[in-house]
Amino acid sequence: MTIIQITEKEKARLLILALIMFACLGLLAFAVWFIQFGQGNLYRVSQEQQAVRRVRLPAVRGKIVDRNGICVADNQPDYGICIYLEELRRSGKKRQTARKTWDLIQQLSQALEIEPQITLKQINAHLYNRKPLPMAVWRHIDNKTMARFAEIGMHYPAADLMYDSRRVYPCGAQAAHIIGYVGAAEAGEADEDDEQPYHYYLPDMEGKTGLEKIYNKWLAGSSGGRLVRIDVSGFKHDETCIREPVPGGDLCIGLDLRLQRIVEQAIADTCGAAVVIDPNNGDILAMASSPNFNLNLFCSGISVGSWRALIEDERKPLFNRAVSGLYPPGSTFKPLVAIAALVQGKAAEDTSFACNGSFELGGQVFSCHMGDAHGRLNMVKALEVSCNVFFCNLGLQGGYDALYHMALAAGFGQKTGLDLDGESAGLLPSKAWKRQARGETWRDGDTCNISLGQGALLVTPIQMAVFTAAIANGGRLFRPRLVIGRRSHDQSKFEPIPPVLERDLHWSAAHLATVREGMRRVICESSGTGHLAGLPDVVMAGKTGTAEFGRKGSGLQHGWMILFAPYDNPKYAVAMVVDEGISGGATVGPRLRKMMADIFAVSGAEG
Amino acid sequence: MKEIIQQLRRLNIPLLAAMFVLLGIGIVFIYSAACGMSGPVGVRLYEKQIGWAALGFVFFLFFALTDYHHLTRVAWWLYVVGLILLVLVFVPHIGLKMYGAKRWIQLAGLRIFQPAEMMKIAFVILLARLFGYPGRNVRRWRYSIIGALAAFLPAALIVKQPDLGTAMIFFPVLLAVIFAAGAPGKTITFFLVTGGLIVLLVLSVIILPPRIGMPEQEHKQLMMRVGISPYQRERILVFFDSRRDPLGSGWNKAQSQIAVGSGGLLGKGFMQGTQNILGFLPRTVAPTDFIFSVIAEETGFAGTLTTLALFGVLIYGGLRAAAGACDKMGRLLCVGLMAALFCHIFINIAMTVGLVPITGIPLPLISYGGTFMVCTMSALGIVQSVHIRGDWK
Repeated sequence: MTIIQITEKEKARLLILALIMFACLGLLAFAVWFIQFGQGNLYRVSQEQQAVRRVRLPAVRGKIVDRNGICVADNQPDYGICIYLEELRRSGKKRQTARKTWDLIQQLSQALEIEPQITLKQINAHLYNRKPLPMAVWRHIDNKTMARFAEIGMHYPAADLMYDSRRVYPCGAQAAHIIGYVGAAEAGEADEDDEQPYHYYLPDMEGKTGLEKIYNKWLAGSSGGRLVRIDVSGFKHDETCIREPVPGGDLCIGLDLRLQRIVEQAIADTCGAAVVIDPNNGDILAMASSPNFNLNLFCSGISVGSWRALIEDERKPLFNRAVSGLYPPGSTFKPLVAIAALVQGKAAEDTSFACNGSFELGGQVFSCHMGDAHGRLNMVKALEVSCNVFFCNLGLQGGYDALYHMALAAGFGQKTGLDLDGESAGLLPSKAWKRQARGETWRDGDTCNISLGQGALLVTPIQMAVFTAAIANGGRLFRPRLVIGRRSHDQSKFEPIPPVLERDLHWSAAHLATVREGMRRVICESSGTGHLAGLPDVVMAGKTGTAEFGRKGSGLQHGWMILFAPYDNPKYAVAMVVDEGISGGATVGPRLRKMMADIFAVSGAEG
Repeated sequence: MKEIIQQLRRLNIPLLAAMFVLLGIGIVFIYSAACGMSGPVGVRLYEKQIGWAALGFVFFLFFALTDYHHLTRVAWWLYVVGLILLVLVFVPHIGLKMYGAKRWIQLAGLRIFQPAEMMKIAFVILLARLFGYPGRNVRRWRYSIIGALAAFLPAALIVKQPDLGTAMIFFPVLLAVIFAAGAPGKTITFFLVTGGLIVLLVLSVIILPPRIGMPEQEHKQLMMRVGISPYQRERILVFFDSRRDPLGSGWNKAQSQIAVGSGGLLGKGFMQGTQNILGFLPRTVAPTDFIFSVIAEETGFAGTLTTLALFGVLIYGGLRAAAGACDKMGRLLCVGLMAALFCHIFINIAMTVGLVPITGIPLPLISYGGTFMVCTMSALGIVQSVHIRGDWK
């Protein structure tokens, strides 16, 4: 290989490059020296041992208020005591630090006269995972303890007061299922996609159920922190940097607490659920599930006893029957059957059938209530007295396909999409479903069953309320919603969220009028099955339902009632179900009467 | 066999020695940094580093004993393959995304290597061939332009990963090689000025708008259009205003400076560094980007000076090999590779002392990292190859 000598010019340039590089290295050496010895040095190699302490500033969680501005979820300042493990560390052994921490906790425990809340195992876990962060050793301390600590705290340099906030629910047990509660967040791994897997913060509160959970991101805000320089005795020299916490945003929900109280009271002594919706926009004005529970139990972390009591209670207080409860609707389904037949042209206002108390269909017998024979009646009358024979015939005449599609359009068999967790979709059986699930073909008897709101059909109270609202407002299916407005921490007014129209059902006014008239008679006529719900000065319309469940013949029944009021210009669409009752009319009727009376009394003044 | 021994005798000893010592330092301090981390992941790190060093040494020997002309002969091929690999990184199932960046090629979920690192070497080899081909008149503009394009292509691909730091390195390397190759002063000046202007422009787009009151959201969108990801923007903004987000990106910067500063003359002692400061940094950062902080904290100024000196020896050895190279291609290879190495060293250390915004540039031979280690040692091997075949009187 030929050897090409380096030219002088090239040599010179190489030299220049070398000089540049060495100059840069020299610059680095100087910079390092400057930091380690020069003026800007933060740390001196002298007796003042300094450390940097990281103080967490929790974010204020957003509030939840009802439509009238009454607060249902709020925060209270809370205090605790934390220990900065790093300052206890002498040598590199973790075990020593853990032990020192434990001793300190014991000392504090004695001095403050409070019991330790942490175990040695938790100390080790913290050392392992989150050493630089303060470890909360006592939370939710009372004023007495705080005062004592203020007195003696200086003798325990590694310990300090920490400020925290506690979630409180001013209304106690009201709307418990809706609001939900918060608990400590699980300290999870950062996502792979998280470009900043650099932050280890103390576990914040996070919503576990209800709106607290669904809107957690909005409500939570983000906590900040402060870097404080302290010396050996724990005395704070100065603050190096601070990152302000970002408060969470507030939520305004459509609930009216006055109505909520009334509705909860109406079912308080039994198991069941009730929903009141504004038919003009889908706002949920009240939603109750009984039995309920007190949210404030969860404030400082629920005690084991209370939790177990809630979990083991047979009546399932934590279960939100209003959106998760599955019930056969019984006769409350009949308005849908009527509308389906009318709209599809399979029946008309004057369609009539003869009822002699029972209807036989190949071995199965469907009888009217108490076996009463209603004679020949038309649709309006059939709704009024809830004639099973009529509706069996109507269902068969209309055909199941028509009924199925109308039910599907009206929102059955699917989630309503409201902003709450745990919603059930219910079950709207189709022919295909039966073949798959039961391995049998669809029979006329099934159509009859569904027409009477029995069989495999399952609905939730909220679905019934939404359907009732559609009848009340002329055929528009609104998506039910809890949150109607949001306000971030730097805004003064709530930004309204527009209602969502799920779909327009295109029911003709004439058809609707028939069904509505029938429903009006249910309540307003003395022969109506729901007359016990009637009020003297308000015209209301509705439908009763008595749904059998469990094994046939066991006699177990749910009591249902749906209603809307006032008849012209409805303001409320209601659905109520009682888990075990005598019948819709007898059990639910009187409750609804009182409830609606109270509701009108409270809001009647506003017109 | 005899030939191999002969060649080995011609190795540049200072270069070799500096390399070993630096490797040793790396392993030792990764052990220290890793011990502060939780769990078994940490302790295994230094074992892995030893493994990578061993693999790197194999590559080193291979390249040292291979005639570098073989490489320059296939320079264009290497370059093209490198580009293809860089593109492949974006293809799902072949490219792997970790910590928000698509930098790796994977095989069945295991990350194998980072093409960007290899591209640097391919680039230098290409430049060496371009400007060092016997009889080439480097005064002609066209070569400089080709060189600039050859730098621009991979840099653009790498910026998309996103990895701004690595992409930037291509340009000083280009400049160094062109300079050493004897390009006319005007060309050099032109590149310098253009480069400087571009940097100024980019910086001003990043820094000025917030200062004159542009809302954050708009600024972020503007950045995205220019091709700068939000966290890169954040890093640069933090550099110029350390009060900004001091518990996020500013934290790393503040903590590194504190760590370095607390070392004093002799440091706090091995494994005595207050890992609370660096313990906060996640698993990946202390042993990689901020390893120099660990060294500074634990061995003080004595340690940092020694490390800088060792790097100086490394650079000196490389440039000496350049001086003694038997042909221009060899010379330029050395210059280019040492320039790349130098950039890494400078940027990484400058970052830990706060002179330069935080980037993802590792410290050669010391930072933990597989591809990077192997590439660095391969580069040193190539330099040795030039030295072995050089002309020494």
